[in-house]
Amino acid sequence: MTNRPFNAFAMAQGQFDKIADSLSLDQATKDLLRNPIREYHFALPVRMDDGSYKVFQGYRVQHNDARGPAKGGIRFHPQETVDTVRALSMWMTWKCAVADLPLGGGKGGVICDPHNLSLNEQQNICRAYVRQIVRDIGPIRDVPAPDVMTTGQHMLWMVDEYEKINGGHYPGAITGKPVGMGGSLGRTEATGFGLVFALREALKELDIRPQDTTACVQGFGNVAQYAVELYEQIGGTVVAVSCWDQEAQKPHTFRKKDGINITELRGITDRFGGISKSKAAELGYEVLPGEAWIEQDVDILMPCALENSVTESNVVDVSKRVKIIAEGANGPTTPEADHVLRERGVFVIPDFLANAGGVTCSYLEQVQSNMNYFWEKDEVLGKLDVMMTSAFVAVSEMARKRNLYMRDAAYTIAIARVAQACKDRGWV
Amino acid sequence: MAKQDQRVADILRSLQERAKELNCLYRVEEITSNEDCSLDEVLNGVIEVIPPGWQYPDICAACIRINDTVHASSNFDKSIWSQSAKIKVYGEPIGTIEVVYTEKMPQVDEGPFLKEERKLLETIADRIGSCITHRRLLETMQGMQGSDRTTPRRGREWGAILDLLRRTDQSLLMRVARKMINHLCWSGVRDAERLLQRFGPQQRIDEPDVFLESNQPRQKNASPSATALADEVFDLAAASLSDDEIISCVHKWIKQDRASFLVNTLENYHTAISEVADAIQRYQHAGHGEVELSHSTRKGLLVALVRRFLSDQLEYINVAKNYVEIKDFHQLIRRLIYPARGHGKTGGKGAGLFLAYQIVQTHKDEDKFLAEIKTPKTWYLTSDGMHDFVYCNHLEDVFSQKYKEIDEVRQEYPDIVQVFKNSQFSATIVKGLSLALDDLGDKPLIVRSSSLLEDRFGAAFSGKYKSLFLANRGSKQERLDALMDAIAEVYASTFGPDPIQYRAERNLLDFQEGMGVLIQEVVGTRVGDYYLPAFAGVAFSHNEFRWSPRIKREDGLVRLVPGLGTRAVDRLGDDYPVLVSPGQPGLRANATPEEVMRYAPRFIDVINLNTNKFETIGVREFLQSAGDELPAAEMLVSVYEENHLRPPLMGSVNFERDDLVVTFEGLLNRTPFVKQMHALLNLLKREVKHPVDIEFASDGKDLYLLQCRAQAPAKSTRPAPIPRDISHQRLIFSANRYVSNGIVPNITHIVYVDPEQYGQLATREKMLAVGRAVGRLNKLLPKRQFILMGPGRWGSRGDIRLGVSVTYSDINNTAMLVEIARRTGDYTPDVSFGTHFFQDLVESEIRYLPLYPDDDDTEFNHIFLTRSPNLLAEIAPEFAELADTIKVIDVPQTANGSVLYVLMNADLDEAVGVLSEPTSPDQYPADVEKSAITHEGADWRWRTRMAESIAAKLDPVRFGIKGLYLIGSTKNATAGPASDIDLIAHFVGTDEQRRDLERWFEGWSLSLAEINFFKSGYRTEGLLDVHFITDEDVARGSSYAVKIGAVTDAARPLKLSEADST
Repeated sequence: MTNRPFNAFAMAQGQFDKIADSLSLDQATKDLLRNPIREYHFALPVRMDDGSYKVFQGYRVQHNDARGPAKGGIRFHPQETVDTVRALSMWMTWKCAVADLPLGGGKGGVICDPHNLSLNEQQNICRAYVRQIVRDIGPIRDVPAPDVMTTGQHMLWMVDEYEKINGGHYPGAITGKPVGMGGSLGRTEATGFGLVFALREALKELDIRPQDTTACVQGFGNVAQYAVELYEQIGGTVVAVSCWDQEAQKPHTFRKKDGINITELRGITDRFGGISKSKAAELGYEVLPGEAWIEQDVDILMPCALENSVTESNVVDVSKRVKIIAEGANGPTTPEADHVLRERGVFVIPDFLANAGGVTCSYLEQVQSNMNYFWEKDEVLGKLDVMMTSAFVAVSEMARKRNLYMRDAAYTIAIARVAQACKDRGWV
Repeated sequence: MAKQDQRVADILRSLQERAKELNCLYRVEEITSNEDCSLDEVLNGVIEVIPPGWQYPDICAACIRINDTVHASSNFDKSIWSQSAKIKVYGEPIGTIEVVYTEKMPQVDEGPFLKEERKLLETIADRIGSCITHRRLLETMQGMQGSDRTTPRRGREWGAILDLLRRTDQSLLMRVARKMINHLCWSGVRDAERLLQRFGPQQRIDEPDVFLESNQPRQKNASPSATALADEVFDLAAASLSDDEIISCVHKWIKQDRASFLVNTLENYHTAISEVADAIQRYQHAGHGEVELSHSTRKGLLVALVRRFLSDQLEYINVAKNYVEIKDFHQLIRRLIYPARGHGKTGGKGAGLFLAYQIVQTHKDEDKFLAEIKTPKTWYLTSDGMHDFVYCNHLEDVFSQKYKEIDEVRQEYPDIVQVFKNSQFSATIVKGLSLALDDLGDKPLIVRSSSLLEDRFGAAFSGKYKSLFLANRGSKQERLDALMDAIAEVYASTFGPDPIQYRAERNLLDFQEGMGVLIQEVVGTRVGDYYLPAFAGVAFSHNEFRWSPRIKREDGLVRLVPGLGTRAVDRLGDDYPVLVSPGQPGLRANATPEEVMRYAPRFIDVINLNTNKFETIGVREFLQSAGDELPAAEMLVSVYEENHLRPPLMGSVNFERDDLVVTFEGLLNRTPFVKQMHALLNLLKREVKHPVDIEFASDGKDLYLLQCRAQAPAKSTRPAPIPRDISHQRLIFSANRYVSNGIVPNITHIVYVDPEQYGQLATREKMLAVGRAVGRLNKLLPKRQFILMGPGRWGSRGDIRLGVSVTYSDINNTAMLVEIARRTGDYTPDVSFGTHFFQDLVESEIRYLPLYPDDDDTEFNHIFLTRSPNLLAEIAPEFAELADTIKVIDVPQTANGSVLYVLMNADLDEAVGVLSEPTSPDQYPADVEKSAITHEGADWRWRTRMAESIAAKLDPVRFGIKGLYLIGSTKNATAGPASDIDLIAHFVGTDEQRRDLERWFEGWSLSLAEINFFKSGYRTEGLLDVHFITDEDVARGSSYAVKIGAVTDAARPLKLSEADST
């Protein structure tokens, strides 16, 4: 064990260094991409409900905007550090690049705990934040979005402050706004559908017909439900889903070997993706232990719930039949398990490609906001399909051509695209 | 002279108000003395002045018949409530005078008439007789001067009053005379003292003297000499005082005397409630305003009334006497049901609500938010109603129930309930209940227990006795039957095992239990088949579960639910009320939409008017089908769409289609509700001089106060005394910020995640592993017997350096969650206050404490926490590599048998974690839960005994058993009422033997579960948890075999049957 404390930014840099070396990037490009291109640290004096004033610390980090305006969330977190924000902004750069969006990467944060703040005080923080950074964000510079402990409501306050200062309407200055207030339709479906768009392309590539496949999904939240829905539409059969049982404080797996019925299951699911155990049993589902999802004899696994779900200890339970793992959740596979899967030749669609549907939809929201013309849901999802497909194809081509593991290919293509943009602009 | 007349008139006027009989008589005198009037005029005049002289002037009429002539009031009619007197001339009756009431009035001395009124009537008849005699004399002896006209005493105006008194009320005359003599003494009139001495023995004119100071019979003092004494007194007064002074004194004393009958009734302990009620009614009807009473008389009366009807607790009386008026009791008795000759009270809940409402009424002008608070219509059945019921049905045996063993009590309880339900109420009570139902109508009712023990300071009987909802539908008889059935059940609950056990623990068994009952209309409206309030809940003056350091304890806490308040009162574990701190309404326990939705109420309690049942239904389904009909429903919900949660604009909710979450946003932000609650809590706390705990409900329009009592801390949230002289070795940590109240006793294990080491972990994976290790330990360590101590924010996600990444299920067995905020540089990080699963902690009563080890004046025993033997590798070998970061300390092993107590005191804002002997009472903080501890001990003791008997009866040959071991909570003496008995069976037999053995164990298991149920009230499917191990396990030390001969927490071998021949 080392004495160096764990640091998210150091980790992100380490990851970058590895790929940068494999790409043989020159030192200047490396130096540029290893660190944010711009950072803003500012104080936010805020009037509290009791009339007193309190000063909060705010950050905005723009890691890179060679490919387009920076894009990334604003977090409210009591122990926010600039290193966390830096790391997250870098990840945003790669995420936008792998999805081939004309956007860079950014991130922001305020050290505060919304549990200790009234909504009014939170509004004051949002407005103070925008006042401090107004010259350096906006539709053509840097586009914030909701993140940890911030919501569409916070975004509305921010966009309103931005518009007040600039004396005009700039809905494209911020994404993640509620529908009808500059938000986009299709946001709910985007991540789950995006996952299956990528999965569909993977099947094509492996020359497997979706109707010949079965799958098992971990989780039954938003992402999982829409993934199951679309996967069934393209002909696949989901034999089991797992979900958290709030009452028993443990997960269960619900199995129907000839295929679950998404409509039926949704009818007995609470808002948090918890399926009623008793009602499922009545409908003829087998109720298995929570861990059972990973052992199912299926072609496809979709971990859509928690990080670190596929670990060194349970990766051995993954059936020989499994050909594809589509990572709907963030970081569902630990590095040790990832190594095993790579050895076994399982086709892994890595999380930041597989769940890029979310950020792609944010991009589409921004486009619509800039035009002040909002599409029907079908149009949004249609465009999402096209973009996810081409993003996937590019990554898998790279993997094939350079004989890379999909996860490495995704990183490589992302970093290569950003490096290329910097060079084309003559920055380095 | 005109001035003098005016003075007399003044006095007479005031007498007319206060001393109606006297006035009446005087008027009669005046009229009959007026020789200028004809006899007809005189008689008509008399008829007119009579009604005002009687108790109930409005319904009083009079009639004088002389020979054939009749003089009567316009409203005179024959009546059964009448009294009459003969009018005589020269001793011969020539007619009658009759007084009637046209309506029924309470019974007093002579039907509805007072004995004074009888006297008055006779005096008037006399006077009329004299008048007629006089006129006849005048007629026959023309020119002769009549002289029987009464001359005012010695010509002084106050003399007129005394004369009247002498004629009508000698005892009043004597009381006034006595006061005068006292007054003269105090004024320094020497002769008065001499008179006073003579006065002494005569003071009790109406009563025989009970004090026999000498052996000689005392001489009787006849009335005439008494009046003569009065004359002497007033002669002396006339010589010493001015007329003005005498008049004003007499005036004042007569006034004060008016309430004497009420005082007498109240002071006599033998008078039944019915008599007191009549006295109050008479007092009210007679139109006495209280303002006229002297301050001391009034206070005395009120205290007597409070003591009689509400409570004899001094704390209560002290407050109540300032808030009640006699008229309030007049209101109260109109809704009071009591047994004939009863002496009961309303009981704790009744008294609490009555007082709270009076306080609110008194102060409603101070704060506009208080003005609109109401209470539902309530009838009270007094506490002796239960005794009446028991005696009436010859069930006296039940009173000794409480001295039986608790398992016997539990066993017999269902029978008692049935017997009670099949018993009859006395006719008086049935009549009272019937009246109550007529008054309450067919609104659903709640029958609440209101025991004398309940709501006493320091003993929170919250939820121990029953409260039952009634749909109150059907015919009058059906409704009455249902009501009586419910009351019988409430009565029976007095003899249930839970309250008896609770009383035993608090040494309250010998208190003679009286159970009052409140019959209250349920606040709410009908929505479809259901009846429910729009919202309801409970509120506390003191917030013992704060989720932000900005919330002060005094900011209070409101637990709000839609529908009936039952879901806010109880901690349900799987459903959540919305929490608001009225002093800091902006700070919510749940900040993100995910949290808000996760902890939103999911169910709603209602009364189903079709089935006449209390039901729990899904709130979403209910709102979908009936949201439009529920008043103020839009105030209760937020609309969730596309990841956005927003409070709806009024009229914009589509209940059928919208995805609704109960958040109460509208109620909290757009109505004065929060301000109302804040004002109410503050007012009540200030006035009763104690933090309070109230229940409320709203029909969507008005806010109703349903209950109010002293906020008695629950067992786990009582302020703990903080010992001052703890040695350093025994002190593990101390805290002096954001401390709540409570005691976390008998901690046998500490899981300590070293903040420094955790911060040094090199990878995120390792940090996540710490979270998993904690989750594992949570399953392995004895439930609620260990505490978790760790850095910063438990339950962090994302940047998990801030705290260990756990979910609620990873910590749900801990007794306490401790967050350690270590200073880094010049910066002390925030702690989370458990916000990631705050409401789960609250509902499960897992306590929370933040530690700031770098603060001055705090202790943090780093050495104990880091250098004690670490069990981690032993109990969770898979996490052995985290041993530097996670310390698992077996407290008794490390500290010579001591266990850890965490004592928290919010009043002092101090907490300590100390090592102490679990069994030694003197080391245990004084007077805290001693009985609870012995009780807890009982659980493991009998379990151990039973485990030993099982082993002793287990035939090793027959079942193929090599050894039997005891592990877990029973072995560790930590078993609680819900604990299993964990056994390890070393099995070496055949499959058939195994089946037999399993069956054998199952028999034991079920029997023991039954015994446990009788002892503790916990229902379990079986009490034994047997783990089978094989030779192979023993050889490899796998499975539970690892416990045999283990270094720590080793299994205890049990002695098998003597038949053991192997």
